[in-house]
Amino acid sequence: MLEADVEVDRREFIVRAAISVAAGERLALFGPSGAGKTTLLEVIAGLVAPRRGRVALGGRVLTSTERPVRAVPPWQRRVGLLRQEPGLFPHLSVRRNLTYAPTAAASGAELAELAQVLGLGSLLSARPARLSGGQAHRVALGRLLLAHCDALLLDEPYAGLDASLRRVLTGLVIRLVTERQIPAVLVAHELADAQAFADRLVIIDRGALLQDGAPDEVVLRPASRRVAELVGYLGFVPVRPPGPGGQAPAGIAGIVAGVHPERVADGAHPDRGIVLTGVVSGGRPAGAAWEADLLIGTAQITIRLADRPAVQDGELVVTALDPPCFGADGLAAPLVDPGPGRAWPVQVSE
Amino acid sequence: MSWAASPPSATGGVRGDDPSGRRPAGRRRPVAGPRGLRSAAGKASLAGAAVIWLALLGPVITLLTHLSWQSIVSSLSAPGAFDPLIVSLEAGGVTLAVLLLLATPLSWKLARGTLPFPRFWEAGVLASLLLPPLVIGLLLVFMVGPFTPIGEAIGHLHLSGTNTFFALVIAEIYESAPYYVLGAQAAFGSVPESLEQQAALLGDRPLRVFRRVTLPLAAPGLAMAAAVAWARAMGAFGAVVIIAYHPFGLPLQIWTSLEETGLASALPFALVLLVVALPLPLAAYIWSARARGRRRG
Repeated sequence: MLEADVEVDRREFIVRAAISVAAGERLALFGPSGAGKTTLLEVIAGLVAPRRGRVALGGRVLTSTERPVRAVPPWQRRVGLLRQEPGLFPHLSVRRNLTYAPTAAASGAELAELAQVLGLGSLLSARPARLSGGQAHRVALGRLLLAHCDALLLDEPYAGLDASLRRVLTGLVIRLVTERQIPAVLVAHELADAQAFADRLVIIDRGALLQDGAPDEVVLRPASRRVAELVGYLGFVPVRPPGPGGQAPAGIAGIVAGVHPERVADGAHPDRGIVLTGVVSGGRPAGAAWEADLLIGTAQITIRLADRPAVQDGELVVTALDPPCFGADGLAAPLVDPGPGRAWPVQVSE
Repeated sequence: MSWAASPPSATGGVRGDDPSGRRPAGRRRPVAGPRGLRSAAGKASLAGAAVIWLALLGPVITLLTHLSWQSIVSSLSAPGAFDPLIVSLEAGGVTLAVLLLLATPLSWKLARGTLPFPRFWEAGVLASLLLPPLVIGLLLVFMVGPFTPIGEAIGHLHLSGTNTFFALVIAEIYESAPYYVLGAQAAFGSVPESLEQQAALLGDRPLRVFRRVTLPLAAPGLAMAAAVAWARAMGAFGAVVIIAYHPFGLPLQIWTSLEETGLASALPFALVLLVVALPLPLAAYIWSARARGRRRG
């Protein structure tokens, strides 16, 4: 169990975060660049001192600013940190990089087994400069595992590698973390990377934890408009629930529905979400799908459809599937959720 | 596989590898125009480089062409001819040892920015680089001379800060230390801090990190810095002539030979000085270039 509840001073804001990760659990910290994600990892690793707070790992208090004050130095923490730069020692062979840690079992059996799992068997005597990016990352991972660290911190380790390699390496980390039953924290600014790795997703922005939940739940039910923006909602359409006689009840103005480009179906499906009719203002291929910009009233949304839609008179009818709604305060306003099988009793505001 | 995350040092070459220096606007002109200009500029800069290189090497070439075997033999076979060489080697060795021991930690701290008021510390190092050696010598007399507090303190240890081997070492340290500190600072600065952090997280205490990561990675640069400092110490003259006229080192031997018997008899000692002072820097240069090449793969 890894627990951190800290406050760290940054130039523009204060990072205030409390996370706890169980043994064998994989937590992803997702947020924009400069949100304080790396700072949080560095506090856990002991590279940055928090202004206030406590870090504990498996019952050992690593940092505490309250009595008894503790600041265990990095070399006694047994916390592994993997960064985007693999950080291999260029003057040592792969074998000596792998067994660098004083705690690394020098026994040939474990090294040989790990080298085989990581696909490094034939590279043990090579110098890091000869390795490809993926190989270097595998050596860096193997080095942490041979060091038998009690927690694994991953700071966007695979940014810059191509997608298939990222998938392989992520799978490898998941497997090894599960086998060793150690807590793992991944920092990512790509949502897909975070989701591929984690069984729990935490959204962080400007030093504050905004939401903590299952990787799909956070995306489907963002707790606030800001979270929605961070996880990819590209448009917000003003809506109102129709009151008796089609009149909007007073006092619930300013509600918007978030439209995620990938949570949109072609055509009108009133039982599945909010039907939107908009003017197509632009379109482009997006991977294998088609992306279109839609102007609904004054709101601009972006949608992604499997097929390029047939647009008539410049208008397109689509359905935003089960969209999350937010009040004027930016917080989730679930009042328009109709429950399964029933039509959404909302209208798009003029 | 080309997506390899290359070290910063390697990526520096990317721009240089790109042959398309041409701008779109340049395409309208005949291709030979800009290319011809470029090659003319290239030739001019090559010629300039050759001139300055030859000019810099000129004294060495001159030395070799003006020496005759006879003069070498007669100068070096005089009784006690090798004493200055031995004095210089001993003083240089002690100087280098002192620098390695005392100036290395300073360089490391300067490189890591862990000292309070770093500019202040750097200015102190630069002072002895910027002061003319002759002035340093003068000031040293007033600092460690026999009738000064420091001089008296040294006297209690039965040492003297003027005209002794000890004084020679002091003068050589002042003349060579800034070269070593600045070079070593650059060498330590080239070691990524992230590697030291990684070593610490893997369980190494700071001293072990220094021994296993920082020192090996900085070694080529440190060797260069030490070699330059050695050459400066061997050739130290300005400060030496004032506070350590005795015992004679090689530079003073050259100076007195010149004064007493003329140019011709000074030249063999100049050759000896070069032969002693240069091999270490050259060896360090070759070794560090090879070590860096190995790491870049």
